Amino acid sequence: MLLTGAQIIMECLLEQGVDTVFGYPGGSVLYIYDALYEYKNRINHIRTAHEQGAAHAADGYARSSGKTGVCIATSGPGATNLVTGIATAYMDSIPMVAITGNVSSNLLGLDSFQEVDITGITMPVTKHNYLVKQIENLADTLRRAFQIAGSGRKGPVLVDIPKDVTAQKYEFTPLREPLPMPKGDFPFPERFDQAVELIQKSQRPFIYSGGGVIAAEAFDELKDFAGRIDAPVSSSLMCQGGYDQTDRRYIGMLGMHGTNTSALAIKNCDLLIAIGTRFSDRVLCNANLFAQHCPIIQIEIDTAEFNKNIDVDLKMKGDAKEILAHLNELISPVSHAEWMNQIEGWNAEFPLVQEAAEPEEVTPQDVIETLDRLTDSEAIIVTEVGQHQMWAAQFYKFRTPRHFVSSGGLGTMGFGLGAAMGAQIANPEKRVINIAGDGGFHMNCNELSTAAQYNIPVIELIFNNSVLGMVRQWQKLFYDNRFSQTDLDRNTNFELLAQAFGIKAMTISVKSDIEPVLKQALALQEPVLINCHIDKDFNVLPMVPAGASVEDPILEM
Amino acid sequence: MGYSNTEKEYVLSVLARNTPGVLLRISGLFSRRCYNILSIVAAQTENTEYSRILIVVSGDDRIVRQVDKQVSKLVDIEEVTVLNRDEAVVREHLLMKVERSLQNSEKLVEIANVFHANILNVQPDSMIVELTGDATTINSFIELYNPYHVLKILRTGAMAMMK
Repeated sequence: MLLTGAQIIMECLLEQGVDTVFGYPGGSVLYIYDALYEYKNRINHIRTAHEQGAAHAADGYARSSGKTGVCIATSGPGATNLVTGIATAYMDSIPMVAITGNVSSNLLGLDSFQEVDITGITMPVTKHNYLVKQIENLADTLRRAFQIAGSGRKGPVLVDIPKDVTAQKYEFTPLREPLPMPKGDFPFPERFDQAVELIQKSQRPFIYSGGGVIAAEAFDELKDFAGRIDAPVSSSLMCQGGYDQTDRRYIGMLGMHGTNTSALAIKNCDLLIAIGTRFSDRVLCNANLFAQHCPIIQIEIDTAEFNKNIDVDLKMKGDAKEILAHLNELISPVSHAEWMNQIEGWNAEFPLVQEAAEPEEVTPQDVIETLDRLTDSEAIIVTEVGQHQMWAAQFYKFRTPRHFVSSGGLGTMGFGLGAAMGAQIANPEKRVINIAGDGGFHMNCNELSTAAQYNIPVIELIFNNSVLGMVRQWQKLFYDNRFSQTDLDRNTNFELLAQAFGIKAMTISVKSDIEPVLKQALALQEPVLINCHIDKDFNVLPMVPAGASVEDPILEM
Repeated sequence: MGYSNTEKEYVLSVLARNTPGVLLRISGLFSRRCYNILSIVAAQTENTEYSRILIVVSGDDRIVRQVDKQVSKLVDIEEVTVLNRDEAVVREHLLMKVERSLQNSEKLVEIANVFHANILNVQPDSMIVELTGDATTINSFIELYNPYHVLKILRTGAMAMMK
C-alpha cells in the first residue's frame, strides 16, 4: 500500500507490537503527529511535560515490562531533551527506540531553525543510530532499530527522520512478524567443563548477580543454580528482584552500599560466580583489592565486558538464561552446610538497621518496610538517585524481576517520575511507587501534570530532608562537614504544589503517620504525592569509602 | 592473567560498511574510551559497499584487546583483525618538501636514490620527494634529510596486509 513516511512509522510500530509511545509534538514531527491522530485507536500516545520525561517514561516502560520502549520528539531542543534519557537507558542496557524528527533534507546542514545533529550528539550514548534520508529505507531502518535495541546486550537506538521523509509516499510492504533476533554466542563445552570443575572444587562459592539476569529473564535458572551449588546470592543495584530477596540465600547488595554479609562473603568465599554483570566501579570499589584470593567465573553477554574493569579466570560468553540452564543440567546438587550456616550467622549478626533518635521519629527504613508489607512486596518501586535510592534497594523485599526501576549506571536525578509513569502504563494492574528525594523530585516535578492529566495512579513518595543527602553524606565523611550547596532550604510547599497540578497530597511527619497515610494513598486509584519528612542526618550504610576494599565497609558514621 | 604491560604499536584492520559517519563512530569510540590513535587510513575496498580502515594504536595487550572488542561491537563493523607486524606487510607513504640550494642539490638527489625514492617536483629553492616503505625506513629517510632543512612532511599512516 502507498503510505506516507509518517504512516509507515505507525505501521512499523504496530508490526513490533508497540501500543504505547511517549512524546511531545513539534514542527518537524507534524506529519508523525498527524499520523498518530489517525492511528490513535491502535497507538496510545502519552504527551509528557518535557521530552526528558518521555524518554524516562519509555525507559520505565521497558524496564518494567521487558518490551522495547518508544519515545518521540521533534528536532533541535526536542531531540536534545531526550539525550539524558537515552544515556540513562544506554548505561543500564535498556531496550529503547527514540524517534526524532529533523528539518527537511534540503535544510539539513544549514543551521536551520531547530536543527541539531542528533545522530552526532547521541553516538556515544546509543547502541546505534540512524539518519533516514530516503523514504525507501524507512521501514527497514525502523525494523532494524528494534532488532538492535532488543538483541544481545540491549540498548537504545535513535532514528532521526527529516520532515520531508515523513511526508513523502512510498509503497509499504507489511512484515508478518518482527525481524528474528540474531542468535547469540554460547560457550564451548570445555568452558562448561572448567566451570563445573571449579564449582565442584569449591567449598564456599558465592554468587554475585547483575542486571543481565533480569535482561535475560534468568530468574528461575538462577534460583535453581543457587540451590544446586548451595551458595549465597548477592546482587548489584541493577539485579533487585533477579533473585527472591526473601529467600534465605539472599544476602543483599554487594559493593559501595552492600551489606556487611556480602562483604564478609566475598572476603571468605573460595569461588566468585558473577552473572550478567559488568563489574561496575560501584561494586568493585577498589578494583585491585576485589576478590584477589579466589577464582572468578563471569557469565556475560558482551565480550567487551570481560577483563575490562577486572580480570576473570573463566569467561562464559552468552545469554545468562541459556548458560545457567545448561550448567544446571551438568551440576548435581551439592551441600555447603557449614558455609551457609556461617552466612546465615552473619545475616543475623549484621542486619540493616536505621535507629530512630526518638520513638516518634520517621525512619526511611520504617516507611519502606511498611510499604513493603502493605503491598505484599509486589509493587513496582521506582527511584530517583541518591540516599533514598539505596534505602529503597536495601529495605524493600523484591521477590521478582522488573519491580525495581532505577537509574544505576548513569545515576540520573529526575529519572523517577517519568519512569514511574511508564512503568504504570506498562503494568496497569500493579501499584507503582516512585520513591524520591526532594532534590530529584524538584528536577522533573513538572511531570506531575502528566500523571494528573492521564490519571496515571503513581504514588510519588518524597523523602524530604531539605538536603541533597548523598552528596551531603560525602561532605560529612570527606569534606569536613563543609556542606557546600547541599542544604536546599527551598521551602517549596510540596502539598500545595501537588494540589496545583490537581493531585492529592498527604504528609508523613511522625512515625504514627506512616501506616495510615500509606494505606490511604494505596487505596486511591489516582496519582498522589506523599511528603515524608525525615531527618537530614540519616546516612546510607554500610558504605565503602573511595579507594577502600569492598571487604571493608564503614558500618557506622 | 598473562598480559604484557609494555606499550607497543598495533595495527588494527577494520572492515566496515560504508555508512555515513562510520569513521566518526570508530574515532569517537577511541576518544571516549581514551585509546590513542597514532594514525588512521580509510578507503573503499574492492567491494564499494565496504571500507577498510587501518588504525595504528599504542598501548599494551590489554588495551588492544579492549579496542578490538569495543570496535567489533559497532553495528557497521564487519570484522576487526589485529595484525601482527611479523605476519603482515606494513607500508606507509611519505611526501616531503626539502629546502634546496645549488650547493646541496646533488646530496639531496643522492639520498633519494639510495632509498629508491621519487623526486616529484624540483623548484629553484625546494624539492618534493616521495617514499613508500615501513615506518623504520621512512624514519631513517627523514633523518638523513634533516640536516638540509625539511620544510614540510606528510605521512599517510600505516597500511597493512596479512601475508
